[in-house]
Parts: sequence; C-alpha cells; structure tokens
Amino acid sequence: MTGSVSGSVSGSMGGLRNREGEAAYDITWPWSDGPLPPGLTCVFRVKNEARNLPWVLPPMLEAVQHVVLVDNGSDDGTPEVAREVVERIGASDRFTSTSYPFTVSRAGDEHLHTPPDSVHSLTYFYNWSFAQVRTAYSMKWDGDMVLTREGVELLRDLSWQLHDSGAVVAIPRHPMTVESDSVAWLDLGFRFLEPWIYPMGPEFTFVKAFEWEVREFPDTSERVVAPEGMCVELKWLDQDEFAHWSTTSFDAVRTPRKARELEVYRALSEGRGESVDGLLRVEAPEGVHVIDHVTRTWMASAPRPLVKRPDSVEA
Amino acid sequence: VSSRRVVLVVGSGRSGSSALAGGLQALGMHVPPPEVPPDEAGLRGSAESQWVVDLHTELLERANVGITDARPAAWFETGKLAANGLLRTRITEWMRPQFAPLPDLEGEPELVLKDPRMGWFLGLWRAAAMRCDATPAHLTTLRHVTQVVGTRDRPTARTAAWVNMMLHTERATRGSLRAYVRYDDLLADWTIPLFRVGTDLGLRAVTEASANSMRKVHQFVDPDLHRARHTWSDLPVPPRLREIAEESWQALSGLADPDGDTAEVHLTLDQLREAYVELYDEAEGIASSTADAARREGAAATAAESGEPKGLKRLLGR
Repeated sequence: MTGSVSGSVSGSMGGLRNREGEAAYDITWPWSDGPLPPGLTCVFRVKNEARNLPWVLPPMLEAVQHVVLVDNGSDDGTPEVAREVVERIGASDRFTSTSYPFTVSRAGDEHLHTPPDSVHSLTYFYNWSFAQVRTAYSMKWDGDMVLTREGVELLRDLSWQLHDSGAVVAIPRHPMTVESDSVAWLDLGFRFLEPWIYPMGPEFTFVKAFEWEVREFPDTSERVVAPEGMCVELKWLDQDEFAHWSTTSFDAVRTPRKARELEVYRALSEGRGESVDGLLRVEAPEGVHVIDHVTRTWMASAPRPLVKRPDSVEA
Repeated sequence: VSSRRVVLVVGSGRSGSSALAGGLQALGMHVPPPEVPPDEAGLRGSAESQWVVDLHTELLERANVGITDARPAAWFETGKLAANGLLRTRITEWMRPQFAPLPDLEGEPELVLKDPRMGWFLGLWRAAAMRCDATPAHLTTLRHVTQVVGTRDRPTARTAAWVNMMLHTERATRGSLRAYVRYDDLLADWTIPLFRVGTDLGLRAVTEASANSMRKVHQFVDPDLHRARHTWSDLPVPPRLREIAEESWQALSGLADPDGDTAEVHLTLDQLREAYVELYDEAEGIASSTADAARREGAAATAAESGEPKGLKRLLGR
C-alpha cells in the first residue's frame, strides 16, 4: 500500500511516493517486512557539518548501535570527513552514509509553502531519511550536537532498555557558542527540551508543521525526560548560524528557541556576552580544546541544576 | 580516565558477591559506613552500605520492581528512574564526601558499593561516579544458576529472575571497565582472581596490598562456605528455560577467563537475551489470566481497606 503525505502519514504501512515522480526516492517503510531487530540508530541529516563531525560522531558511535548520515548537498567535504572519522575509530561496520540530492526548503516560510509529499519538503526528507533505519528505535540528531560523557552512558543504557517500551525520550540541549579554541559561551539561561528518540513504526512518522516537520507519536506513548548536561549544541561565533532560515525575524512566541539564539548570537558578536542573563563563559585549560573540556570534564562537575531559571522552551 | 575508582558489585545475589566485596574491603578498599549489620545468614557481614541498600529499596518500590524480577520490561521501569536528574544529583552528593581521606589510609579511598539490587540502577551510579571525577568499574561474581536458585520455593521464577538479571547486567556493563569472577575460583584460591581483578580494574588496594591485608582476606574468605551442590535434576524448571539458563551460564562463565570478554561471546549473549525475552512474552501471554485475577484481588483488598461495601452488600448496593 502506498500512502500520501497530504496531511498525516500515520497508518501508511508500505511507503510513500513523491509528487515529482522521483521513483528512486520513494519511501519504503522498513517495518513493512516485519518487526525490526532491537537497537537504536541515530540519524543525522546534514549539510556542511565537516567542521563539527569530528566532535559529534565519535561519542555518538560509542552510544548507539548504528549511525545513518544523510548528506544534503554539502560542499565542504562533509561525507568524506564523516568516513575518515568513522574509519579512524574503527566503526565503519556500524555506519551508513547516503545522500539526498534535492534542495530542501528552509525552515520557516519556505517550508510552510512546500507540499509535504514533495521531495523538497522537510517532512518528506525526514521520512525518507528515517526509512533507512534498520533497528526498532531511532533518534534524530543534529550534526552540531555533541554528547557529553554522561550523555554517552545514558544513551548506551537507553539503547537496550527502551526496547518494546513504546516510550519517547526528550533530551535537553545546551547551546554553546565557540569563540576560540579555548573559550566558549554556554547558554544556561533557558531549558531547550525536545523529543529526540522514538520507536520505529507507522505511528511514529513525520508530518508537516508550520515552521518545520514534527514526528508523530500516540498519546499512549510514555515520555521519558533525560537530565540536563547530556549534550551541547555547537555554534561558531565566526559562522552565520542562521543561514538555513528563510527569515531572521523570529516570533518570540512561535519560535522562542530561535529568538533566544539570535539574541545570544548578536550579543556575542558585539562583544557583550556578559550582559546576557544565563550566558556563561567557559575557558579550557591550556592545550585542551574547549569543546573537549566542556563535554568531557566541565559538564560533569558543574553544579546542578545547570539551568537556574524555571522557564522552559520546548520544541 | 580518572584514577579515582568506584567498584560497583553487580549481578545476582547468593553468588559470592559478599565474599568478593569483603575481600576487597579487607585489602583496604572502602565500604562507606554504616554497613548493613551481619545477620544469621551472613555472619561475616555483607560489605553493603546501608545508605545504598535503603536507596535501592526505595527506588524499587517506586518502580514497582522486585529485587529478583524476571520481567524484561522491569529494566525500562528502573531505567526511567536512572535517567532522573534529581536522583543523579542526590547520589552524587552522597558519593562525593566518601572520597575524603581516611585516618588509617594513605591517599584517597577507593570505594566498593555492593547490593544485590545494584544492577537495576547502574546508570545512576555511573553518572554519580563521573560527576565525582571517578571511573566506575563493574565486578560480577558468577555462580552456577542451580546453586544460586537452590531447592527453595518457586525455582522456575527464581531461575527466570537469574537469567533476566545476569543477561541484562552483562548488557548494561558491556564496553565499560568490568571484570567477572567465578565463585568456585574465588573459593579455590582467591589470590588468582582477586589479583587479576585488581590489575584489570586498576585497584591500588589490590596491586599495592600489604602482607597484613592479605592475611585478613584469608580470614574472611572461608573455602568451606556454601558448598551446596544442586543440579538441574534437583530443580523442576521447564526445559526451554533450563536450556537458556544453562547456555547463559556457559557463556557468562567464559567472561571470567583471561581475554574471555570477546565480541563472539557478546553475540551469543545477545541471542540468549532475545530468546529469553521471547520466552517470557510467551509465558506472560499464557499466564495473563493469573495476573488479571491477582490484579482483581489486589483491587478488592484496597477497596476493603477503604471501607467500600463488598461481597453481597456490594451486589445489593448496600
């Protein structure tokens, strides 16, 4: 049976076709041939993440059974860097690299006006990417998110504990802007919480929302919230972090996370990081990169709670 | 890797973990006091910290999981608690001062934490260890399942609980710093397995042990302890469960050999775990009427406690 993504894709047991007739990129759901084996696969959809992947991939491959990397038109050598990193740590047999050749609408206005069954839709792109998964659980992860040591251990446990539970897991992330090899700014002013880990199955596919895609899950799914300090989201002060958005006029109500990120980016660009409530400057010891310092040492010993303000921003 | 150590003694109860933890304690490792007082069954003490035991008891109650629980799904229930940020902080705050220098000990103490419930909450302890800049090391004693289960009541349920505990704690500690010790090896000549454990896990108390501390271990580990010899013929356990339990024992036992912790053994253990989960699902399906009846009975007891009318009065609406 072939379904349509005009509204919801739930219940589509066989797969999806796209409106452009790109048969090679039709979606075949991996569960259509029977139950998937236990395990957790991490799916990265990436574009130009060559700078981040050497920090991102090694801890993730320590934590989960398999990683799928879907490249979408990188011109900075992202797939090559990924392969080198994976080979270096001896994990090639647990890594799948593939590419999605279509231009995908940027989050925001462009996405809103793209039909969900188009190969250019974020919704279709996500569904196609997750159709590459061959384990019973999957997680969405960004190419700029680095697990801490505690985050690795947590995911290692969840990768087998979740099996058959039907639960989804939300993980708080802490944006971290890298100023130099030894200095970074950690945003502990807000709590950014988003579900990242889901079972694979017809009730857990992606559907269209206003600004981006969302993953469906039934009301009966139990929700587990991971503790703080499991991962940081890398941002680079010398890089325009908002290039993939079709507008930078963020509505603080509809997209509070992006509005906060823009506030932090502007403050740091203008050299007034100290003036932003909850923004913390971290300096690494000599000879240690600040990303390694924060994810391997600093985060573990930082007093809890990390985020003091009760405000929570949930995607 | 931090040189600070926390040894987490995991695995099934009645497997000689008290002898092992007590041996490490006699060599100079630190069991945070107060300890659980020795009882009739364990005259020499169990090397268990009361705080740890109390915490696990509280958490198992919250998760509705038994200390020996044969349900594969119980791992998700306790895993949810292990992902709790407030609990991680609570344990970290307890653990941090345990590394304070001790009067009779040179350098920082190395901790031994032991409780038969430990396996359910490894995630919590590992996180606390990392937050205290310590490396968690896992230590498991292996004793044949028939010796652990014995001929006491419900041998099938106890065998299933053993399989559930052993196969899943193996999965939980895979890839981490760990060591396995066979109970029989410990009783035959404790110096060989304990020295290997100390070397593999990087335990100063073992690698730098004095003659006096080794004398203490000899006094502690009694080779005449627990020599009961049961076999499968003593236990009325269904053949499929017996097969999975025996094969699990064989595979786990291999982990105690030098260089025995291999990918090949892991694959076998994965297959056994899957077979066990499948068997349990089947059995749970067959026995669901018993579970339903127990649930009704529990609900009726609760209603009776709350003073609701019961029996004929309830039927008649009085």
